[in-house]
Amino acid sequence: MTDLNRRDFIKKCVIGGVAVYSAPLLLSGQNAYASTIKENLKSKWKEEVGNNQPAFRFDAIEKVTGNKIYGRDYRAKDIPNWPDIQHYGFILRVNKADKIYEGFDLSGLSDEIKPYKVITEQDLANSGLKLPPYFGENMLLKKGSTPDYLGHEVAILLFDSFRKFKLAKNFIQFNNDIIQYGKTTELVTANVDPYASWRIVREENSLGSQAEDKYSTLKNGLFFPNYVDHKPVWPSNADKSGNTGEKGIFYANKLAEDIEHQDWLVIDRHFQTQSVDPMPLEPEAFNGWYDKFNESLHVVICSQSPQDFYHQAGEVLANSPLTKNIKKLIVHTPYIGGGFGGKDHTIFPYYGMMASLFATQPVHIANDRFEQFQSGIKRHPYKIHNKLAFDKNTYKIKGLISNMTLDGGGRMNFSPSVTMVGASAIQSIYYLPRNDIQAWCYPSQSPHAGSMRGYGTLQTMPTMEMMISEAAEALQVDPLQLRRINAFQAGQKNTQGAIPNADARYVEMLNEAEQHDIWKNRAENKKKFEKENPKKRYGVGFGIATKDYGTGADAPSTSIEITVEGKIIISTCSVEMGTGTDTSQGVLIAKHLGKMADNVEMAQIQLFDAMELIETDDPYLMSQETQDTMSKNPRWTPVIASASSASKSSYYQSHVTEAAAKILFTESLFPAAVAIWKEKYFNSAFATPDFTNVNDAHWENGHLSVMGNKPLSFELLAQKAHSMGLITSVMAHGFNRWSWAKGTYQLGAENKDYFLDGVAVKFGIGANRTVKKQANKYGYHVLKRLSVSYPKVQLNNAMVTYYTPCATLAEIAISEGSGKVEVLRTHTWLEPGNVHVKKLVEGQLEGGLTMGIGHTLYEYLPVDETGAGNGTWNLNRYQVPLAKHNGVWNMTHTLLPPLSPSDPTKGIAEVVMIPIVSALVEAIYQATNKRFYHLPISSKDIKEAI
Amino acid sequence: MTVMNLSINNNIVGPIEVDPEIMMIEFLHEYLNLTGTKFGCGGGICHACVILVEDEQGMLKTERTCIHNALVFNGKKVHTIEGHATKDKYGEIIALHPVQESFSKHFSFQCGWCTSGFMNETIALIQRLKKDPIKKTDVETTIEAALGEHICRCTGYVKYYQSAKDLILSIKGLTK
Repeated sequence: MTDLNRRDFIKKCVIGGVAVYSAPLLLSGQNAYASTIKENLKSKWKEEVGNNQPAFRFDAIEKVTGNKIYGRDYRAKDIPNWPDIQHYGFILRVNKADKIYEGFDLSGLSDEIKPYKVITEQDLANSGLKLPPYFGENMLLKKGSTPDYLGHEVAILLFDSFRKFKLAKNFIQFNNDIIQYGKTTELVTANVDPYASWRIVREENSLGSQAEDKYSTLKNGLFFPNYVDHKPVWPSNADKSGNTGEKGIFYANKLAEDIEHQDWLVIDRHFQTQSVDPMPLEPEAFNGWYDKFNESLHVVICSQSPQDFYHQAGEVLANSPLTKNIKKLIVHTPYIGGGFGGKDHTIFPYYGMMASLFATQPVHIANDRFEQFQSGIKRHPYKIHNKLAFDKNTYKIKGLISNMTLDGGGRMNFSPSVTMVGASAIQSIYYLPRNDIQAWCYPSQSPHAGSMRGYGTLQTMPTMEMMISEAAEALQVDPLQLRRINAFQAGQKNTQGAIPNADARYVEMLNEAEQHDIWKNRAENKKKFEKENPKKRYGVGFGIATKDYGTGADAPSTSIEITVEGKIIISTCSVEMGTGTDTSQGVLIAKHLGKMADNVEMAQIQLFDAMELIETDDPYLMSQETQDTMSKNPRWTPVIASASSASKSSYYQSHVTEAAAKILFTESLFPAAVAIWKEKYFNSAFATPDFTNVNDAHWENGHLSVMGNKPLSFELLAQKAHSMGLITSVMAHGFNRWSWAKGTYQLGAENKDYFLDGVAVKFGIGANRTVKKQANKYGYHVLKRLSVSYPKVQLNNAMVTYYTPCATLAEIAISEGSGKVEVLRTHTWLEPGNVHVKKLVEGQLEGGLTMGIGHTLYEYLPVDETGAGNGTWNLNRYQVPLAKHNGVWNMTHTLLPPLSPSDPTKGIAEVVMIPIVSALVEAIYQATNKRFYHLPISSKDIKEAI
Repeated sequence: MTVMNLSINNNIVGPIEVDPEIMMIEFLHEYLNLTGTKFGCGGGICHACVILVEDEQGMLKTERTCIHNALVFNGKKVHTIEGHATKDKYGEIIALHPVQESFSKHFSFQCGWCTSGFMNETIALIQRLKKDPIKKTDVETTIEAALGEHICRCTGYVKYYQSAKDLILSIKGLTK
């Protein structure tokens, strides 16, 4: 039976007596169908194909050969030490939320295929099992209650064979006689307060943006409403000299009055977006085994945020008498088949965990697509009312008032922060001297809403762009010129009063777009196209956006280890969901270490316990005093680990990976090289070497040289570093609240400054016994943090400061007969900073743009009882974009070159889907002379309009 | 229950008892533990689940496994993504199929969930073009017709299509 071994399982933490471990997912060679890959073939990925670019993705060969690498692939027999027997679970869900749930009837199932266990709310209550508080109550709905939402889970059925599971599921899934309902009731959510309300008010100083704002959230803080009848009621008292709220209301009222009475052009428009599903192609799945003999629970999860699961699952177990004997929770986190936010803080694994606790053998639960539509994370509609005011003479924006409401779905999840991010993003690339942005998010009967790609910005930002296009027409000014006039300049403040980091290269993009054939020749092209295609209408639209990346409390960790054989092993806390984080991290170290990584291990959060870091408070809510006090503890950090989301890996994960690589190079490989040169290639007995300046060192073809000295291979340097007992592994942790924490560390006799708040190292095999004895139980030496400077907590009010700009030109044709939109050509400009792997960036851009086309023209779910929550939705009705929809052969792009080699690598995964939305809306207008204010714009809408 | 025999990746499978309700993808996953073929929609729409069926002339045809019962494949010779690479006598993968190589070089996929479907469709297409070459000017429309129903959520299809195009143009005899 299973025996936990430190080589296989690494302890994450202990929660209420439950030790949580993370484990690599090793295949059981005897049973699993998985071919190993010959090492020389596997290493082909890092064959350089020009300018430090890899030949393949790190995970390419596994993916093209069908190896088991995804969470959904694993069966019990694949996993070492698990029993070979696999059980199956089926989650029973309601498809109504306006009637009392009266139980279910499985009597129609023949005895042969009946579940051996049906887990209900009563079982959970008897065992003291609950969802983690983050997800709320009512994990399984109690008989006699009104469901909280469509798709509310009522039972988990366990079967001891796939055959029984399959036959039973066929009988149950679309059978309206299984779940019984009573009388019609009011929706539960009708009596629940909003999930969140935000108000972002700013008025610039009369001296301009550079001077201190008269009022802003960064300067003055945030204020919040009361809830009356479950709707927000903001403070009514306006007082220029009052408290934060009263002042805010004063400036908000003043803006409203001016917009009402000044002689400004005011674009006053209402917009509505739709409910959408992130639709990662891999539906969620889980496998789990409760090993009672060894008092352990083993689980395989498909998650973008495993660190969240470690803690919350540990708490669930620790709080239940049923699980009092569980001493160990072992979590496997393999690759996932797409995320797009749909697997970030998802509730699904907790249902799997409950099933495992009641199952007699390992149990596999896997959503089919109907179930995934019914229960997976969504983004629901926004309703947005904007008033955007322009000076009629200068064409400058005078101010924006925006009121937005968001359907937050049936469980709260990330809706509060989505609401905030969407609100703070509406300004897009434009400088707004004054703003009053209100946003609130209400609960509904719809399925859960959470961290879906775009995080609310896909919904809010295009509305600004649509108004700009409309204003240009009203002001009779060139649309790109109007954008140039109002484009944000570096050093100006955003709607929160914060100064965005890095230059704002929007005008550069606008200038390039102006010269592109799609734009420059649009009138002639239209004439020509419509003459050649008399039944079609031609249109061109432009859209531009700038999207934040990061969350304001980002805490990446990386470890880089050099083996004595000269292999480089990187471990990161990021989850690989397709974006190529494994590849980019493996590649980016080459500029410091001379070669790409030999192995990249993902989702290795627990490994970083070796830094012995602790966290205590919510990083968004903690006071400055708390931060100042706690940061005196050299092991304290505001956050230990964060999810793989918010377009984070390329910037945040890369920051710590690069920092670790630099330390390894400076403290180990270069000194090893100097030692070799001195010993073998220099008259050290007679002279002082002049080649000891690390800044002079240069890698070429995997060999290090300095000042003409003999180039030395990485393998030789690794061997030397080990034999000298130098540092051979560096583990680094960073914290970013729109700026990096900076620490001073004692390293040997020197003090070193790093933009890191935790560093631990391992010394090579030649290190002396005294040094080795000083290692902690993980084998690492935690560098003494002498001091640390964290970004002030007030920066939380900045909400966002890192942005990536992106613009798209779209050329379309519309069939008059059908109203069908054909994307003829697109060209996109993206400013990604310094690019790690160009093809990964291009892939993100092309995929993001395509998802944006789906959002604009096709993807739609009703939010009432006919929507996804009723369990009947699949891809036959939810149209995602196909290659025929996106102009696949004519999708081109320009990646703006970085301003300098030190430019950061920016987060791009979300921004690339945004500008196409407004570009298409404008192109449709140019083709049809009809403006649309809702999404998606269907061919039926267009046909009716023309 | 029906007894089933078939060839998968040139290995004889069976006799094995299978219920008529069991879909081919379920048979691959749950009976044979071959999980390289991916479940996407279960309704035959996304084409992530397509495998190759070889006829008596050795011609390959794609079939969706999420909408066809396993028994439909009884007696057939099928190929899945696990069978395309070259392996040594120990079962270790030592070389990729040209389509696998091309998809990898082009960074055609991201999450990879749709890859086995695109892979099988492209392999069948290339075999068909070997038999019936097309004009160079028809390459793009031929690819659109072959791959057009496959859903990819990550990449926007561009690098799959470019990969297929480069491959078709680079293999002698596929175009005329």
